[in-house]
Amino acid sequence: MTLQDILLQQLANGLILGSFYALVALGYTMVYGIIKLLNFAHGDLYMIGAFLGFLVLSVLSPLIGDSWVGIMCSMVLSMIAVGLLGVLIQRIAYQPMLSAPRLSILITALAVSMILSNGVLAFTDGEYLAFSTDLGYEGLEFGNVFITYTQMVLVGAAALLMSALYLFVHRTMYGKAMRAIAIDKDACRLMGIHVNRIIALTFFIGTSLAASAGIMAGAYYGSIHFFMGFVIGLKAFTAAVIGGIGSIPGAMLGGLLLGLLESFGTQIPFIGTEWKDVFSFGILILLLVFKPTGILGRTEIERM
Amino acid sequence: MRKTLMLSAVSGVITSLFLFGQVMAADLKIGIMVPTTGSEATSGKDMENAIKLAAMEINESGGVLGMKIDTMTGDDACDPQQGTAAATKLVSADVAAVVGGYCSGATLPTLKIYGDANVPFVIAAANSTKLIDANMGNAYQINSTGFDQTATAVALFEKQGAEKIAVIHQGDGYSEDLAKLTRDKWTEMGKEVVAYEVVNKGEQDHSALVTRIKSKAPDAVFWTAYYADGALLIKQLRQAGYRNLIAVGDGSNSPKLLEIAGKAAEGVYCFSNPTVDYLPAAKDFHANYKKTFDQEPDAYAALAYDGMKLMADAIERAGSTDQDAIIKALGETTSFTGIAGPVSFTDKNTLARSNFVTLIAKDGKWTLSE
Repeated sequence: MTLQDILLQQLANGLILGSFYALVALGYTMVYGIIKLLNFAHGDLYMIGAFLGFLVLSVLSPLIGDSWVGIMCSMVLSMIAVGLLGVLIQRIAYQPMLSAPRLSILITALAVSMILSNGVLAFTDGEYLAFSTDLGYEGLEFGNVFITYTQMVLVGAAALLMSALYLFVHRTMYGKAMRAIAIDKDACRLMGIHVNRIIALTFFIGTSLAASAGIMAGAYYGSIHFFMGFVIGLKAFTAAVIGGIGSIPGAMLGGLLLGLLESFGTQIPFIGTEWKDVFSFGILILLLVFKPTGILGRTEIERM
Repeated sequence: MRKTLMLSAVSGVITSLFLFGQVMAADLKIGIMVPTTGSEATSGKDMENAIKLAAMEINESGGVLGMKIDTMTGDDACDPQQGTAAATKLVSADVAAVVGGYCSGATLPTLKIYGDANVPFVIAAANSTKLIDANMGNAYQINSTGFDQTATAVALFEKQGAEKIAVIHQGDGYSEDLAKLTRDKWTEMGKEVVAYEVVNKGEQDHSALVTRIKSKAPDAVFWTAYYADGALLIKQLRQAGYRNLIAVGDGSNSPKLLEIAGKAAEGVYCFSNPTVDYLPAAKDFHANYKKTFDQEPDAYAALAYDGMKLMADAIERAGSTDQDAIIKALGETTSFTGIAGPVSFTDKNTLARSNFVTLIAKDGKWTLSE
């Protein structure tokens, strides 16, 4: 492989990884945008999504197989279920805390995260489950750069979900209401917007996007585990901050950027894989020093 | 008259309860230290089962020195901090001895705790060479160490005609140790290690690393860490079109690796300590384990079972539960034959005879490689 091939392959790797980060980062940023909460349970909802998808797929696969049709069906079902779970969590855990000091709701989010991951730990005995699917290794070769069909479909699905979200937020009344609530909740209430209903809707969409990423990751990597949401939760949070937390295009951009940074970080001579996280988080620190609001963040955002 | 009878009957019952209580207190308390939660919980619980099975069998045939074995589990969660907590818990519960130890990283800091308390410790599975230096004389390793595994690994690579190899570990005590030994031995032989890499624990996407490795075109890739992440790496290596030899260390010796990696794992080599499936002497153990726990014994069950039996044998030979006597008896072991083979120790408290075998994945199963 020539250097050019390697860099092109790493570009592809980074984009694939980045689209997972972006999908999860979107939920983070949407929730933050609307109620200024860093929802630390978001990574765990990604994990729950993967487990529910696994469950649904194992029920459905005798009927429709465990190839793309089966995965898509279980993805839709599990997105709805996890979305509802997100709304439930918001109603039970976050709604009563909205007027409390900001730190209290942050701690509540941490508690929800622990409850979810330890709940799954108790159910699965901490075991890795093999998410077996029918996806093969066939793909297209561009010179020395190899991309499987699975990878293409995953990136395509992520792009589709993200553009649907963008259109929803910018072209519908609900999206308009979301954006309005992010600016001034009380004024919205006076204008007759059902603020609580829109907040619930935001949670539904945000968590179901995380669930979709969870199932795609489960099917693509082939194993799921109660702790799988932790690392990606951190990375997605980082991506959201890079892009400017609260900004939807920012989360997409931040996710892709982080994925690319990690891939290329691996390739830097004398640095190697063990330093790739140092590399990408180092860039994050630099960015926060020189542009604290992130790439697309607005300056009036108040940070915790 | 009646009242006196009643009274004496009641006091009799009370006295016997008291006596019974004392008999219970004189039980032989043995600690089990394994990860029963966390990423390595499957293997840890399996070891716990095997140790308990050994204790049950010993109790059924009259116990040790007339005492019944009572086990107590400390969960190290495969984590150094949790391991320290588990060891402290066992020591403060006054266990007579400890059997267990799966993750070397978690076992390492406990050696000082058991050493300070002078508790006899049979390390059943953990086999990093770092444990040898940290051993305060009270611990005995019944699994072959990294030195033995390195020799087996290098022999395989050489036999398969490899010149350039890539070694990947996870930065924990066990896998880094094995990786380092292999790298040093391979370069010593005048051959090339083209990549020496680390993967973060819990990371799912290894595509960047896979591209880097593929670009160096090694003849063999050696993964020295555990099965869960190893399965993902194998899958992604094969997915990216890497076709040469892949070998994994004994931490990856689990049917779960084959289940997660699926068809990508076909032809992968694995170095393993003697597991139940390849030991003719393990037939009874296998059947008993299956009957008692309603599941198949995993990789380290045989060694864990041997560990408990060896400890009981040593206490029997020591003639008391005096810690120094037990430690001395362990060191003098010559005639003990477990299901994994005969046990005797070097002057460094490691197993005198290597017990590694080479396995290959065939049709979704580990089989003995020729």
